[in-house]
Amino acid sequence: MSRRTASAVAQGLRAVLAGSLLALFVLPILALLLYPSLGRLLTEAGDPGVDAALAFTLYASGLALVLVLLLGIPLGHLLARSRFPGRSIVEAAVALPVVVPHLIAGLALFLVVGPGTPVGAALTRAGIPVFATIWGVILVMVYVSAPYTVLASELAFRAVDPRLLEAARSLGATPAVAARTVALPLALRGIVAGAVLSWARAVSEIGGFLILAYTVYPSGPYTGPVTSPLSVYIYTVFQIDLADAAAISALFVLIAFGLFVAVRLLERFGRLPWPSGELPL
Amino acid sequence: MSAWACRGLSAHQGPFHLGPIDLELGRSEVVAVIGRSGAGKTTLLRTLAGFLPADAGSIGRDGTDLTTTPPEGRRAVYVPAGLALFPHRSVAGNIAYPLELAGGRADGPTVGDLLDRFGLAPLADRRPSTLSAGEQQRVALARSVAADPALLLWDEPLGALDLVAREALLAGLRTAQAGGGRPIVLVTHDPAVAAAIADRWLLLDGGRTAFLGSADACVARPPDPFAARFAGYANVLVPDDLARETGLRSLVADRAGNGGVATTPFIARPSDGEGGVTAVVDRRTPTPDGVRLTAHVGTLALELRAAADVGDRIRVGDRVAVNDDGTVVVPIGPTGV
Repeated sequence: MSRRTASAVAQGLRAVLAGSLLALFVLPILALLLYPSLGRLLTEAGDPGVDAALAFTLYASGLALVLVLLLGIPLGHLLARSRFPGRSIVEAAVALPVVVPHLIAGLALFLVVGPGTPVGAALTRAGIPVFATIWGVILVMVYVSAPYTVLASELAFRAVDPRLLEAARSLGATPAVAARTVALPLALRGIVAGAVLSWARAVSEIGGFLILAYTVYPSGPYTGPVTSPLSVYIYTVFQIDLADAAAISALFVLIAFGLFVAVRLLERFGRLPWPSGELPL
Repeated sequence: MSAWACRGLSAHQGPFHLGPIDLELGRSEVVAVIGRSGAGKTTLLRTLAGFLPADAGSIGRDGTDLTTTPPEGRRAVYVPAGLALFPHRSVAGNIAYPLELAGGRADGPTVGDLLDRFGLAPLADRRPSTLSAGEQQRVALARSVAADPALLLWDEPLGALDLVAREALLAGLRTAQAGGGRPIVLVTHDPAVAAAIADRWLLLDGGRTAFLGSADACVARPPDPFAARFAGYANVLVPDDLARETGLRSLVADRAGNGGVATTPFIARPSDGEGGVTAVVDRRTPTPDGVRLTAHVGTLALELRAAADVGDRIRVGDRVAVNDDGTVVVPIGPTGV
């Protein structure tokens, strides 16, 4: 076999292998979108139960994302910019929610904040009951999704040239002002990418919800009807009717896709201050 | 009265130790920091700027001790070799940055003033990455002046500029300095820059001051071989060279210092085989007043020159006679051999 033929075979093999994986990514979503009729989609979109689960999930995931950003960006900045004893332990702790199966994570959270535990009882007395409420859903979402924002923030802050921060300080900025006016805008692109991953991870969670928030009762910031997180809702419907489950799933995929597109459009036509290029979504 | 004073200043970066350095800066003085790579030039600037803590000694401005003051409180603007322009801000945004930090200064220049002063008005909305090296340097300069510094610290400010851009920026530096009466300490590898703008040269060697004085003093008696090269001497012959090449020694030994001898190009003429110092020509470069020759005596390379009429008869590979008629010869180092 000549070298040219061998090269052609290798290229062909690579195309087949890469194409197979891409097909695995795309075909199920296509199947899902094509399975329900438009009529069924519209019916599900108008179903109060579906609407409640959908609205609740978007609402809870939005609140969880705010918490993830508030807590995750400082931790990412700390890991990127500071040296301290036990740093590797902190890094391992950040990776823990990614490697622990989420049903087990839900069980572990239940042992800490579930009803009957001292922490759970204290939270209930403080007006933040976790079991079967939006608080539990947010807790699970933050737990499973925050590592993506922490890790993306760490990488993004680490990529900011430290000489820019020195320049800012030399021009009169305190370390905090330099972080806000130089590091944060330059890291924003990476942070947004991490936040998008975090949000996607949060809304796709089910394991933790099965233990801690299978059914959600109104409490605190959620005053709507009794419902479930969408993933749990879909699984419940799936056990009864595949077509309904597929239609609700397709509806959610379309909404999620719309949100991704919106973020991209904001990046391209908005006035977001990241330097150049597109979001690495 | 000096505006800034460092006394016994020591600092370290990793295993490298700087100091002790004693340096006083007058209000409008420009000091060029020169030295080999790793001599401590950048370490000195970063210590003055407050990014490296002083291990010993003091830094003061107008009698106020700033040794432990953080960078943002020193009014000593440090511009690193890469300039560190903010990539997420426009030219105008970069220049506005220190003004925003100060909350706007009623008496100081506006962004518009600085854009005009440094010829940047047409580029106001551009991002730094779209500018030429010379334009970026002017932005860094304008941004520094916007911070109303009491000291400008420039690390290789004229790194990659053509002659025209260099002259323009040298003029800009003088303007910036004259306006506020602020001293400038600049690290440079470019003798032309050091000679053009600096009142004094600070030569660092291994983290210590090897020379601090006027360019004239450095040219008249270079403190070490590096300074001799920097001052523009074509030949720098250290004691080992003179010990090895006895012919050369006879030519210049009586004028050598303990660091050897520095010379402008020796004079070359075609060899008539009568003895004396001879060299073999390796390269021949025509110049407006004759030819410049690179030649070797034994293993030692030498720079020579010849008038046009003589140079016409010299070719690469020729053996030429070397003499010091009209060659400037000065000792290197503080004392005689």
